[in-house]
Amino acid sequence: MRDLLVLGGTSHPNLTKSICRNLTIQQTEVLSKKFSNGETSIEISESVREKDVFIVQSSCGHVNDNFLELLITIAACKTASAKRVTAVLPLFPYSRQPDIPFLPSLSGAPSISETKEYYTFESAPSTPRPLSRNSESGKELTNNSSSSPLEKKIINNNNLKMPIPNRSVNFQPKAIVTNSASVNFLPQVDENGKTESGYKQWISPNGTLIANLLTTAGADRLVTMDLHDPQFQGFFNIPVDNLYSRPLLKHYIMDYIPNYQECIIVSPDSGGAKRATAIADSVGCSFALIHKERRAKFANQPPSTSSSSMSVSMSQQKSLNSNYTTMIPTTMLVGDVKDKVCVLIDDLVDTSYTITRAAKLLKDEGAKYVYALVTHGVFSGDAINRIKKSGIDKLVTTNSVPQSEHVAILGDQIEVLDVSRIFAESIRRINNGESVSMLFDYGW
Amino acid sequence: MHGRSQNSIKLLAGNSHIELCKQIADKLGIKIARVGAFQYTNQETAIAIGESVRDEDVYIIQTGCDSEKINDYVMELLLMINACKVASARRITAVIPNFPYARQDKKDKSRAPITAKLLANLLQIAGCNHIITMDLHASQIQGFFRIPVDNLYAEPIMLKYIKENFNKDDLIIVSPDAGGAKRVAGIADKLDVQFALIHKERARANEISRMVLVGDVSDKIAILIDDMADTCGTLCKAADILIENNAKQVICIITHGIFSGSAIEKINESKIDKVVCTNSLPISNHLKNCSKLEMLDISSTLAESIRRLHNGESISYLFYNNS
Repeated sequence: MRDLLVLGGTSHPNLTKSICRNLTIQQTEVLSKKFSNGETSIEISESVREKDVFIVQSSCGHVNDNFLELLITIAACKTASAKRVTAVLPLFPYSRQPDIPFLPSLSGAPSISETKEYYTFESAPSTPRPLSRNSESGKELTNNSSSSPLEKKIINNNNLKMPIPNRSVNFQPKAIVTNSASVNFLPQVDENGKTESGYKQWISPNGTLIANLLTTAGADRLVTMDLHDPQFQGFFNIPVDNLYSRPLLKHYIMDYIPNYQECIIVSPDSGGAKRATAIADSVGCSFALIHKERRAKFANQPPSTSSSSMSVSMSQQKSLNSNYTTMIPTTMLVGDVKDKVCVLIDDLVDTSYTITRAAKLLKDEGAKYVYALVTHGVFSGDAINRIKKSGIDKLVTTNSVPQSEHVAILGDQIEVLDVSRIFAESIRRINNGESVSMLFDYGW
Repeated sequence: MHGRSQNSIKLLAGNSHIELCKQIADKLGIKIARVGAFQYTNQETAIAIGESVRDEDVYIIQTGCDSEKINDYVMELLLMINACKVASARRITAVIPNFPYARQDKKDKSRAPITAKLLANLLQIAGCNHIITMDLHASQIQGFFRIPVDNLYAEPIMLKYIKENFNKDDLIIVSPDAGGAKRVAGIADKLDVQFALIHKERARANEISRMVLVGDVSDKIAILIDDMADTCGTLCKAADILIENNAKQVICIITHGIFSGSAIEKINESKIDKVVCTNSLPISNHLKNCSKLEMLDISSTLAESIRRLHNGESISYLFYNNS
């Protein structure tokens, strides 16, 4: 190895260790601690002068702490005359910001981390809801929803369609904030996210900032995996190697799913369709798609089922007052999964609302067994508990973020694939100036 | 104004010190802008914008505090600045009373990062046009920026407090370390009182080994002045030495009361008679737990600097006068 040093941040020490084992080199020690006032302090134990330095840091746990630690480590290497600093980010921080219509709650919304006995995986509440939002049942309703934009819209729509005499125009569904006082400054918004003055409340996009911060700290190159938006690469003025977990997932399907040719690859939302079709094509399986859409609903008229391959889960519609013609969100499955083994494929599972809802829909449509193949399993909040109780029979994810806690809870329901070989090989190739693109197709 | 329409001040509150932001807003007679920062369950921060800041003069109040969340607050500030930039604000000023990472301003060991410089770069790339801060640990940090930095002083407020509460013939001003000697000597000059110095030999960060007092403090009220009190180890040891040398009373006057770890307990048990500190960090909780603690309000200084900056007036007046 030519002047190769691999450093690890505190976010995922085990991955750094396995990368170094795969490269058969000694990991360079980084002394990372906190001053008593909480400021991060970094000390690099070995000389990095004129070395090719790789810093491994994933985006998990205390994301901001880990991200600043990475920036400080990069800056430390740069000031210590490293020749080149490459940040290896298995999961890229802030790569996906859920675009929730943010709705503040004055009650100081708690984070949704406690275990609940009962989860609904329905797209919407399937029984008619009591009328008042402020009653206890209103609370129950928000408990079941909270993070997904879709569910919020549905609740909201339900309320809209129900003839509620004294319903206030401004409503305050629970938001998924973790105790931040400054959200109290946000105005009340109506169901379209607009304030009284008509200003549409919005959430700021962070992608370019994160890219600029990394570049400013001194990163010369980035290695990451399965970027949620491939366009993210364009935010950088430095080379970004976006590795794919596709070969790994493909191997899993071919090696561990019995009769894999018979199974159906399913994308849980239309955004991931391209990713899922690519895998379906390469293993030669058929493909189905779950599609969320807002569509016009007409009184007592079932949705079009002209072709047998299209079935629509619209149980919630029956519950709605059908005198109104409004746009309501529906979850549709495009494709036939009856008595089939289904493989859900997604790049990132965070709150797990989308994937558990998809699993429920597949089971409702008669699927025999549901696999969920996920590159980055973040599982924040109560996601793991939702998955445990969901229709997912086997969850397969990678160790791009630490999974040991999740394995402890899910046991046999989860399998973890190792990405350290891919990262180690890409580091070796980058260091040697060899092509990395070969890893895209064949994995390692 | 060069053909451009007049704009107004938009005051944004970060989560670190909302109390101070409210006080500033009250003094300026404006409302805090409808912008909020929050975290998703995956602990990524997001900024929601509920009113237009297009072409406005934006001031974001965020201080470095809370050992659990200091990095969250830094990221929050960067994201807020970026959000305002994306929303086409005309000018974005970060008001950072206590500049985080200010003590990591030099390469004191091999391969140690100069984090203050990194933070300066990050703030600028995020889109910050101006910085207002107070009593920077090292004023050279101003040179880390390519944008204007207004380093305000708590000194006028401190001087006022000393003049109002003590008779200057009883006083001696003491610097707890050599680094602050210049600042403290300046205050002693302005008050026309005696000056003493405690010299400490530091083994490791936040730990002091040996202290030597230079000057005579017997039968005087010793006023220790420092820019920040973190673990308070220095202050407590300094108080011990002053009392040993027959000082009548020990008063500490501090700009940034970080009070991390068991600092408040240390103060309660120590020989310090009173700790006076500004509200550059949220200290209202500490005030409840420590009867020796007293607060100086800097919100008027910050509010006045914001008003002056917005109107294009001189800030330097505030260096020497109380607002």
